[in-house]
Amino acid sequence: MKVFNTLDTVFNALGRFFKNVPYAGYGLFLLLLWLIPLFHSVDVISSGQLGIFAYIVVITVAALGLNILLGFSGLISLGTAGFVGAGALGVGVFLDLGLPFELAAIATLIVSTALGALIGLFSLKVEGIYLAIATLFVGEILRQIFTTVPIFGGQSIMIGSVTLFGFIELSTFSQSERRVLFAIIAALLVGMMILMQHIVKSKTGRALLAMSRSSSAAQAMGVSLLKYRLMAFSLATFFATFSGIMYALYNQSVPTTQWTLDLSLFVIAMVVVGGYKSIYGTFIGAFIIYGIPNLYLKDLFGDVSYIFSGLLIILVILFYQNGVAYLAVDIRLLYAKLKRRIHGGSHGKAPLD
Amino acid sequence: MAEILRIIFNSLETGSAYALAALGIVLIFRTSKTTNFAQGMIGALNAYIAAFVALNFGLSIWLVSVIALATAFLTGITIDTLMIRPAKNVLPVSKQIITLGIIMIIIGIIPFLFGVNNFQLASYFPTGSIDILGATLRFNTIFVITVSFAVMGLLFWFIQKTRWGLAIRVTASDETTSKLMGVPTATVTMFAWASAAMLATLAGLFVAPRVSVYPNMLLNVQISAFFASTLGGFSTFLGPVVGSYIIAFLRNFTTFYISDIWGNVMVYMGILVFLYFKPYGIFGKKPQKKV
Amino acid sequence: MEKLLSIDHVSMTFGGLKALDDISFDIHRGEIVGLIGPNGAGKTTLFNCLTQFYKEYEGTFTLYSDAPVDLGTLKVTDVIDHGLARTFQNIELIPDLSIIDNLLIGAHASTKDTFIEEVFKMKRATSEEARLRKKAEDVLAIIGLTAMKDFYVKGQPYGILKRVEIARTLMSDPTLIVLDEPAAGLNDQETDDLEEIIKIIQKEFNVTLLIIEHDMGFVMNVCDRVCAINFGKFIAIDTPAKIQANPAVQEAYLGRDDDA
Repeated sequence: MKVFNTLDTVFNALGRFFKNVPYAGYGLFLLLLWLIPLFHSVDVISSGQLGIFAYIVVITVAALGLNILLGFSGLISLGTAGFVGAGALGVGVFLDLGLPFELAAIATLIVSTALGALIGLFSLKVEGIYLAIATLFVGEILRQIFTTVPIFGGQSIMIGSVTLFGFIELSTFSQSERRVLFAIIAALLVGMMILMQHIVKSKTGRALLAMSRSSSAAQAMGVSLLKYRLMAFSLATFFATFSGIMYALYNQSVPTTQWTLDLSLFVIAMVVVGGYKSIYGTFIGAFIIYGIPNLYLKDLFGDVSYIFSGLLIILVILFYQNGVAYLAVDIRLLYAKLKRRIHGGSHGKAPLD
Repeated sequence: MAEILRIIFNSLETGSAYALAALGIVLIFRTSKTTNFAQGMIGALNAYIAAFVALNFGLSIWLVSVIALATAFLTGITIDTLMIRPAKNVLPVSKQIITLGIIMIIIGIIPFLFGVNNFQLASYFPTGSIDILGATLRFNTIFVITVSFAVMGLLFWFIQKTRWGLAIRVTASDETTSKLMGVPTATVTMFAWASAAMLATLAGLFVAPRVSVYPNMLLNVQISAFFASTLGGFSTFLGPVVGSYIIAFLRNFTTFYISDIWGNVMVYMGILVFLYFKPYGIFGKKPQKKV
Repeated sequence: MEKLLSIDHVSMTFGGLKALDDISFDIHRGEIVGLIGPNGAGKTTLFNCLTQFYKEYEGTFTLYSDAPVDLGTLKVTDVIDHGLARTFQNIELIPDLSIIDNLLIGAHASTKDTFIEEVFKMKRATSEEARLRKKAEDVLAIIGLTAMKDFYVKGQPYGILKRVEIARTLMSDPTLIVLDEPAAGLNDQETDDLEEIIKIIQKEFNVTLLIIEHDMGFVMNVCDRVCAINFGKFIAIDTPAKIQANPAVQEAYLGRDDDA
């Protein structure tokens, strides 16, 4: 069949391109994200929608961290929201102390990640549901602190225009500067995706997987459970805090009250629906869980739209266990099967990953 | 003295709501092997039904409570049949997220059926109280505590002494073996969901007069119930109940005597430290593992 | 012959039950030693004590791979640094990684790059990764799994998985490999292949092996010496033929004549 030959050539060429040119996929993804502010500038996308996309970009980073924890390390955290909040509000507090934005962000990351490492220490003693609820304790403690301690300033904390590198000043009041902010957080997201890719495709990623799939084998191979539990929780916290900092950067005003268990559960849902261990899948998960209801369904159905998102989550879990990310694999399998059927008997190799 | 008595009465009342919710969570955790994050929302949905019927048909709180418990029973069965049973082979974490889906469905259903306004629900005994050493004990508080103890006592009796209770216990300890031995585990799980929904609804009816009826009315109760189950240990049915009263008391005590802001935080930190030394709760046992 | 491991008066008690009772024997460099005994004799317990999964034993294990080291002083995760690698009775591989990536986990302890170098893909991280991949490919070539290197472990036949687990131990440049029932669950053909593989890796990698196995044919064909234990007690260590003829060993397996 001619069609298949042509298709194969195209697919193979594309496959080779993305395989041989490092980061080509991420570069393309970033360009796609940069189209969003472009569409906003010509009014194809409204300001409200731009905000929703920004939220997806921001929360994907937290979900990536949770995917390291959940997908690779087999551990769960119900405290993600607390650490996203810590990132967003922490930056505000350090900015108030007079630090420049970059230093405020680094200080926040250090404090918050250290706290996350403590949970890792805790996880050596406490397991399963007890550990999950322990992380909920941490989330609730943070939430209590955010909403009741005066330094966080009541209902919300104002960040105001952000100065980057000491001279670029960006404020959300100007639409064009907001687009620049979007472009910046999109680049940060892609940066974090690449970071995650490096981590999971290396010694650390394999050690985390070994730890979760067989702790005996991991230990026999020299994987210290203490070190890698600390690592898993520190990474998840780092990503969540980073996501909070991106939130502060883009929104420039941070509420103190929205960092609740609901948000932590939503982040878990993004990983589950998007696909364990999948980097792009995590973004797709965030888009499905937060984007589809808020971009499309809300306008059509109002509050009732929650029914659809709820059903969607349940249906994906019941009927597409691996998560949406595996659609790509399934499509490839389907293509190979189709080709085989039409070619009649010639064996194609089953694609892997 | 009056102060401490008042705290104790108050803790027994709020602790009862936590304990009812916690029992439901543990029942589901043991039989269905999942954490039910929707426990509070299921209670809220049925509290809405009670308030809606009371408002539109002018029925007394007693009657609408019975109606709400009946609808709760149906809610539990529906959820188990449609969403939990088909998820037999789903990964544990994904299964928990199904309960998040249930939360969202209920959040969508509530404005659809009842509109966006909060509802009010009456107390069982709006007036009347006795004085004990200077502390006021309202009849309603006495009623809530008594009913909670009675319900929990009945449930413990049921679990320990009846044939169905035995089925629950064996399903909880080993579902596969139970099934092979002819225990109707599917029915047991369905019953667990129905009971859990009724327990959550009872907790909802008890706190409704104080917080009014709105979607997140039981969020605080539910989170406290999770904490209580962890403190008491998920491996027994008694542990979470004891944990509930301990948490309610510590919370009231610290916020009153120490600090409004830091009371809760101190209690949570304290429990975390406790868990570090006793990772399976007060009554919990460490599961046996083999290398 | 040069001593590689000496097991001295090792005892272990599980809640009043003596799982190991004063076991002593030596293993020499370059040997393949079988460890046999009826079910519940304490074979896996001995392995778990040796590799420090159990720490509450009495007695000592001394390993002479470089400087003599008392294994009891090491953490379970440090044992591999001294050249002792093991497999497990139930296959302990990572199902959602490819075969070659599973081998790379075996090289965890000998990977030299740091976390920061990994995160930013600095030169040492990439070169280490390339070096280990090359090494894993070499090991797979010897074991005969080159064609399958990119397949996921999940869903592979049992015989392949057993071989992957053995290959994984080779990634840490071990001097002593302990295998827990490598032939269990294999069919005759796979068992024959495994015998070949074990002889080959013993030569190619210059390692010493200690093998728990029930399949007596396998033990006879592969092992230079065999150690028999029963009820946690040492019975004898000798050549396979002599062990087979040993009355105490026969008694352990078949019971006393008057019982039978």
